[in-house]
Amino acid sequence: MSWIRERLLPALAVALAAGLLASAPGCHEPLQAPEAAAHPDDLTPRRGGVLHLATIDDIRSLDPAAVLGGTEAQLDPLIYAGLVDIAADGSLAPDLAESWDVSADGLVYRFVLRRGARFHDDSEVTAADVKRSLERALHPSTPDPYASFYESLAGYADYVAGKAPHLAGVEITGPYEVTFRLDHPDATFPKLLALLPARLVCPGAGERYDESFVACGAGPFKMTPGGWERGRQLTLVRHEGYFRPGLPYLDGMNMIFSMPALTQRFKLESGALDVVSELSGPDATGFRADARWASSRAVEPFRQVWGEAMNVETPPFDNVEVRRAVAAALDREQWAKLKPGLLRPTGQLLPPTIEGFRADLPGQVYDPAAARAHMVKAGLAGGWPKPIPYLIVKQDINELTAQLLAEELAPLGLHLDIRLASYPTFMARTHARGHAAISHQGWQQDYPDASDFFEPLFSRAAISDTDSNNMSFFVDDRLETLMTRAHREISPEVRRALYDEAGSIVVDRAPWAFAFDVSSLRVWQPYVRGLRSHAQYQYPIATVWLDRDPREGKLALGFGREERAGFGLTSGSGSAR
Amino acid sequence: MQRAGMLLLPYARTRTRLLAHPSARLGGLLVALLVLFALVAPLLSPYEANASDFVHGLGPGDTPGPPSWAHWLGTDRIFRDQLTRLAMGARLSLFVGIGASALATLLGGAVGIVAGYFEGTAIDAVLMRLVDVGLSFPFLLLVMAVGAALDETSALTVLLLLGASGWLGTARLVRAKTLQVRAQEFIAAARALGLSTPRILWRHVLPNVASTLVFTATLAVAQMLLAESVLSYLGAGVPPPAASWGRMLFEGQDFYQAAPWLLAGPACLVVLAALAFHLLGEGMRDVLDP
Repeated sequence: MSWIRERLLPALAVALAAGLLASAPGCHEPLQAPEAAAHPDDLTPRRGGVLHLATIDDIRSLDPAAVLGGTEAQLDPLIYAGLVDIAADGSLAPDLAESWDVSADGLVYRFVLRRGARFHDDSEVTAADVKRSLERALHPSTPDPYASFYESLAGYADYVAGKAPHLAGVEITGPYEVTFRLDHPDATFPKLLALLPARLVCPGAGERYDESFVACGAGPFKMTPGGWERGRQLTLVRHEGYFRPGLPYLDGMNMIFSMPALTQRFKLESGALDVVSELSGPDATGFRADARWASSRAVEPFRQVWGEAMNVETPPFDNVEVRRAVAAALDREQWAKLKPGLLRPTGQLLPPTIEGFRADLPGQVYDPAAARAHMVKAGLAGGWPKPIPYLIVKQDINELTAQLLAEELAPLGLHLDIRLASYPTFMARTHARGHAAISHQGWQQDYPDASDFFEPLFSRAAISDTDSNNMSFFVDDRLETLMTRAHREISPEVRRALYDEAGSIVVDRAPWAFAFDVSSLRVWQPYVRGLRSHAQYQYPIATVWLDRDPREGKLALGFGREERAGFGLTSGSGSAR
Repeated sequence: MQRAGMLLLPYARTRTRLLAHPSARLGGLLVALLVLFALVAPLLSPYEANASDFVHGLGPGDTPGPPSWAHWLGTDRIFRDQLTRLAMGARLSLFVGIGASALATLLGGAVGIVAGYFEGTAIDAVLMRLVDVGLSFPFLLLVMAVGAALDETSALTVLLLLGASGWLGTARLVRAKTLQVRAQEFIAAARALGLSTPRILWRHVLPNVASTLVFTATLAVAQMLLAESVLSYLGAGVPPPAASWGRMLFEGQDFYQAAPWLLAGPACLVVLAALAFHLLGEGMRDVLDP
């Protein structure tokens, strides 16, 4: 017993006191100062160095034919090039294609490839690779979730049904010329060629998807043997044969997976990471308030919309008035305070970066009195008699919004029974018919176009019994017509008008109660140069350079000099000047 | 012949010894304060534990509100009163901790008594190998693995999970005690008188291992409190919006610099509660099983 009195109690007392003192206001450890650039006024890019990144996520595949989204969809563009690409401002830009033209009726696209572009295995990129890569991605044996995007291609239906050996709509019209024929006009088609399924893979990838495929494309960075340690990190090195002369400037990049946001922040401060963009709310606030980091931070464009998806087939949300009540009960301004500056309250579907967004569109608005009135109209003035199961994934903001939602719906008599679930369980139940009455959902653009928000979330084609992107199972004939017309409409003005009306329908019929658009704060060390916001990509690092070797003379944390040597990288290998 | 309870000290004498024991006294006082806090604080608080206060609860830059006259211990990430939630968390922790401990003691006591009484038989061998297998897994790891495997959790499932996982050590301890009791003459006498085995276990063995059960149960509460907090911290515990100290730690960790009161409150209470039950349990062991 004496050890308790003599050792345990004093130790606990000291620990408690130390903990309280350390956490007392005024004892905060301030952010460390950024590490200065060596040549801050010199805008001439320098070659060399390895960029160190990290993410809270992990990746499952690097094959562009089987990428689901998330981080892997952000990394693949570093490895694979396409005919075209999405530029920083969201417009379409040439990539492997030197030029292209489209017929007057919008049914034929002809692309001319650059000559001399090379894959990572040093083979030359030709028109045959375009056709082979696309057929490989769209083949019925390939688990490509984006395949249906290309349904406008002539012969698509026969090909995916296994009735035709090749895609009739993709013709090799010369060694460096490929022609696409569509069954009907498709305003999104050029942008679809920038998506991963249309990115070119090395001839060694073969004609059919194979899980053993080792990432190989014609992008600015390439894999090395052992470069992907599953669950741990990915290392890419410069593709010396990249078709844009001089690029990339970096020797390589390293990304560590499954690193918590708080750890990322500490590693940025210590210099073990060069860029972070997954900061927690308070850390983001701290960086935004610190003038020393003013020139090394940027709020990224809003590319995601989040809200409450209500299953229109499941009571009580089969009643449009109940859905309207929920949409009117969300106090979006308060929700946005969960991550000040990074959540933008919204009552409509499209984020502001998407063509078709209209700030003046009457969206869903917070109006508690209207919410109660809608419940009365629904015949549920006394509320819904049973608790409504509400699944959430344990992931910071989700848990908080769930609690706010429960608080705001309780006065309406809608009582949420919040249940934590694993990510697979959450996905399986909320994407399956009849399993989830309401769930917190988000949508991040695959490419910057209004169709990529409307069609996956609210079209009849996006409904399936077990894996439905249309998580509210909402179908509206007028909306369906508008989406189809807009998809095929070439005129931007007409498209915009069509999407305006479509937007009004989803606001009014409220299959979702829209809540906020999400952005992130990106922070980098000042010696990282050339890093710019991008409408599509989180890691647009092909034009990034380091103006000095940040790990020169000190042992880096995490991925250090010794480890880099293992990949045959050289650091500070000179200047492009 | 010794009868049931003969090995137990008389209640008055036990109480006197406990009150004279410094650890038991301190532990008992802390437990009493904790129970008082759990029961009374939510009644006195003007706030609902799950209600956000967007008027007085916001700090600078929309951060959680710091301690103030309106919110003595500040507000949490969605601007709910931290003090009220700590008290509700105390209720939950006590419910889960005491309930799980009781369940573990019940299971462990039953297995230990049966295994000890039937020492050397197949029953003993099977039960003890089962205990050995269970004890080969670290308790928290085992609980976390099972907790993570559960699709949905509630206070009751957490209680059952902890109770059903936490009886192994108790079983081994009670078995050892039962072996001692079984060797006593009054057990042999009871057998000679033709008493049935269940009657012997209930009337003569159980009362004589009761002191062991009491202090292991008290010590187990501390373990269960910690385990509940760990589970909640990792997201395998009680779902929101229920206040739980572990969940409060999880929700506040990002604000460890900007709003340290979000961590200080639950962290202190977890430590104090575990310490309180540990001290009380140690004291009870010294008094009941010297």
